[in-house]
Amino acid sequence: MPELRIEATINGRKVARPAKPHLRLLDFLRDDLELTGTKEGCGAGECGTCSVFVDGVLMKSCLVPVAKAQGTRIETVEALANSGELSILQKAFHKAGASQCGYCIPGMVMAATAAIRSNPFAGREEIKERLGGNICRCTGYQKIIDAVEMARDVQNGKLSASVFAEDEPEDGAFIGANVRRIDAPSKVAGALKYAGDMVMPHMLHVQVLRSPHAHARVVSIDVSEAEAMDGVEGVITSADVPGEDGFGVFVHDQPIMARGKVRYIGEAVAAVAAEDVLTAKRALAKIKVVYEPLPAVFDPDEAMQPGAPVLHDYAPDNITKHIPIRVGDVTKGFAASELIVEQTYSTQAIEHAYLEPEAGLGYVDADGVVTIISPSQNITHHREMLSKIIAQPISKVRFIMSPVGGGFGGKEDMIYQGMLALLAMKTRRPVRLVFTREESIISTAKRHPSRTTLKMGLSKDGRIRAFEMRMISDGGAYGMSTEGVMRKAAILAAGPYAIANVKIDTYGIYTNNTPSGAFRSFGALQAQFATESHLDICAEKLGLDPFEIRRINAMRDGATTHTKQKLKSVSILRALEAAEKASDWEKGAPVSRGETRSDHATQGIRPPCALGARFEAPAAAERSEVA
Amino acid sequence: MARKRGRGVAACWYGIARTATVDRAGAWAEIDDGGTVKILTGVTEIGEGILTVLAQIAAHEIGVKPADVTLGDNDTARSPEAAHAGATRQTYMIGNCVAIAARQAREKLVEVIADHWDVAASTIETANGEIWAAGTNHRISMGEAVRICKAKGVVPLGSGSFGTDTTGLDPIDGAGRPWQAYVFGCQVAEVEVDTITGEVQVLGIWAAHDVGRAVNPRGVEGQIEGGIVQALGQGLMEDYKLDQGRTSTSGFAKYILPTALDVPHVTSIIIEDPDPIGPLGVKGIGEPAMIPTIPAVMNAIYDAVGVRITSLPATPEKVLDAIKEKEKSHTRRNIPAVAAE
Repeated sequence: MPELRIEATINGRKVARPAKPHLRLLDFLRDDLELTGTKEGCGAGECGTCSVFVDGVLMKSCLVPVAKAQGTRIETVEALANSGELSILQKAFHKAGASQCGYCIPGMVMAATAAIRSNPFAGREEIKERLGGNICRCTGYQKIIDAVEMARDVQNGKLSASVFAEDEPEDGAFIGANVRRIDAPSKVAGALKYAGDMVMPHMLHVQVLRSPHAHARVVSIDVSEAEAMDGVEGVITSADVPGEDGFGVFVHDQPIMARGKVRYIGEAVAAVAAEDVLTAKRALAKIKVVYEPLPAVFDPDEAMQPGAPVLHDYAPDNITKHIPIRVGDVTKGFAASELIVEQTYSTQAIEHAYLEPEAGLGYVDADGVVTIISPSQNITHHREMLSKIIAQPISKVRFIMSPVGGGFGGKEDMIYQGMLALLAMKTRRPVRLVFTREESIISTAKRHPSRTTLKMGLSKDGRIRAFEMRMISDGGAYGMSTEGVMRKAAILAAGPYAIANVKIDTYGIYTNNTPSGAFRSFGALQAQFATESHLDICAEKLGLDPFEIRRINAMRDGATTHTKQKLKSVSILRALEAAEKASDWEKGAPVSRGETRSDHATQGIRPPCALGARFEAPAAAERSEVA
Repeated sequence: MARKRGRGVAACWYGIARTATVDRAGAWAEIDDGGTVKILTGVTEIGEGILTVLAQIAAHEIGVKPADVTLGDNDTARSPEAAHAGATRQTYMIGNCVAIAARQAREKLVEVIADHWDVAASTIETANGEIWAAGTNHRISMGEAVRICKAKGVVPLGSGSFGTDTTGLDPIDGAGRPWQAYVFGCQVAEVEVDTITGEVQVLGIWAAHDVGRAVNPRGVEGQIEGGIVQALGQGLMEDYKLDQGRTSTSGFAKYILPTALDVPHVTSIIIEDPDPIGPLGVKGIGEPAMIPTIPAVMNAIYDAVGVRITSLPATPEKVLDAIKEKEKSHTRRNIPAVAAE
């Protein structure tokens, strides 16, 4: 492949160097120039983490072929604080608390810089529109928008730059103070290295072969042709695992790579370490896997039927976990009820969509310690599992948790660190694996989809007399966090309400779908969605205000929970009162009274979004006023 | 009118730290040269702000500024077990560990300085990088205090371990003590539903959450705002679709996420009902923040247009279908009524 020679001005410096023609500008900046402040989030121009300026225009560098950089002037996030001092906008992000995991932040800072360069008087709605091409998964955007407004006002002299200063309590009482985030400067400047930004001398690049089948027996894997390729330093399959090949947050039912059979599309089957990513990818195509497709099951209700395909021998009924909760006698409770309402609810699988796709490095250090650097949400447990998998004592296994570019539970599963360890051991060289967005989506855990039947019995005064819930959750192909998710769903399903008769059953079921796992709020979200919807249905039928029905049933201090635990202080009544007061709630039964209610907010809301009408004229008027 | 407003409410509860098992964590603290503080613990930032929270706790407890705190973190071979970054446990588990370790290190320093000044240790106070004995002229910097302490052969160190008094669940009836700290919350949502397109816009959320004690209120707001928007994604648009185990939503072009244009204005109300067990009174906020949002929004949609969405997400297509279905059944019901007249 003939190389290009790229001559461009990058962050004010002339650069003239060869580049491979297949590179994107993003690769050229990150890999060739080591400007890793520019991040890759999706590789498809959808998320904005790779935003840079090309000749002053905001562009997504993942969509720009490197040849297009020829003769241009490029600015990356590293240029903004070139003098060593953060820009006004970066200071505002720091002050406002606009960065959390920080992975989207360099791109967001670039987009925000473009926004106030384009219109130094942009209003809040216009700022939102101008940031619309950049995704943030942590912050909810509010503090980002606050930061841009703050920077705009400081830049325009409406606000003093002293607004950026730290709040320092004179008495040294820092608990309760709005101390600026100590990690923010490194994030807004693009200086912080996530695992995918890290390089080690002599490092190899890893790619993973994944299953195209939802359920199949692996008849044979032939890696000889891949192994023989120039630049390939190691190929591994389950045959390379020296110890007990199983991991999982609760049940260790998942092998590092498919062992005997594959159970979902996207499951790792083999992995290659090569001198560069392209060679590793080409080697994957040379691995010959013979599969024998097996009947698969994709619906948890069907998976529970006798005769359904079985995923794991240890669970012939495909039940990963069933959690029962029993209090009192629901039959008597329903008999004593004056209103009984039954309804089914369902929730879908969703993706964590942290902006940082999975990435990690593995190496064996001079003392023979197998070391993994990755954004793992549980290095303690991963160390313990890996030590068994590679049959080494704990003292020979080390996990370093790199800054996590968003986790939300999705990085609790040790789905790739085992491959890094095995390849580092096999090649005796450092290895690095960086997932693509597609790889991250197809192979990592999702939030459990659920189907819930909820039956509630109440007396006319609004007291819940009986609560019966059955939740079926699709746990997918491996256990991951399913057991814990079912437990938390069950314990919290009936809400913060004192109920004498409770019957709850949650079931996590194996299917050949993408595995479900830990996801922020861990089953409680699915269960309480049902319960809190149901309470409104019941309140309407009883003519009760929705706050009132919750207050009537709320646990009080000293309450006993549905797991028969005695609580000390219970703050639900305070929370209800605070939300009711802050929202200026107008009392009334939830009878679909939207049109007639008089408490629609005039403050504390945003204007509804009308597309195309957000680049407002007032900004121009203001500009002439200032001029 | 094509666009209709509605409001809805939902509450929540949640348990803090690991569920139905004994949770534990550890941290080490050293008051170091120059009056700085070194904290070691085995986790790092996943975005929630834990490093800032730990720096604030150490600074508060020892009497220095957060900027003087160095955090050595994230390494199983170099720092004590902090275990996992999840379960809304960081501020609770690691925060309490750091407080215990910091108090112990401070106690060591205070003992030496009290002896040096010949005053009772109970009269010694520390804040913002200074140490003094109340009611005397003794007042020096923490840096000087560390120098004195070390000259007397003492390195002021502390270690903290924090565990929970919790149990598993009974396999038959689920009885047990899954957590020692619980939080509660409530959110009100205001929505606008377009009856022509079915699109739901969430305009405002009022979110009241008990966090025990807010170490960094702005950080708590950040967790609430971020949680609400994630929930809104699940409530209205996100959908990981599978057909025979194969996804059709493997990229962000097909898997739709909330952007700055989708998000409501969030008003956070922080409630502090201190945890009576841990030394700091803190609890947590990461996960519970997103629980009431979806039902509050679904209840608000019902308020606005009278349709009950029980299957997530409430996409425009689904909402529109439900509105049409409702109109049809209204018409059907109305026919005999008209005929009877």
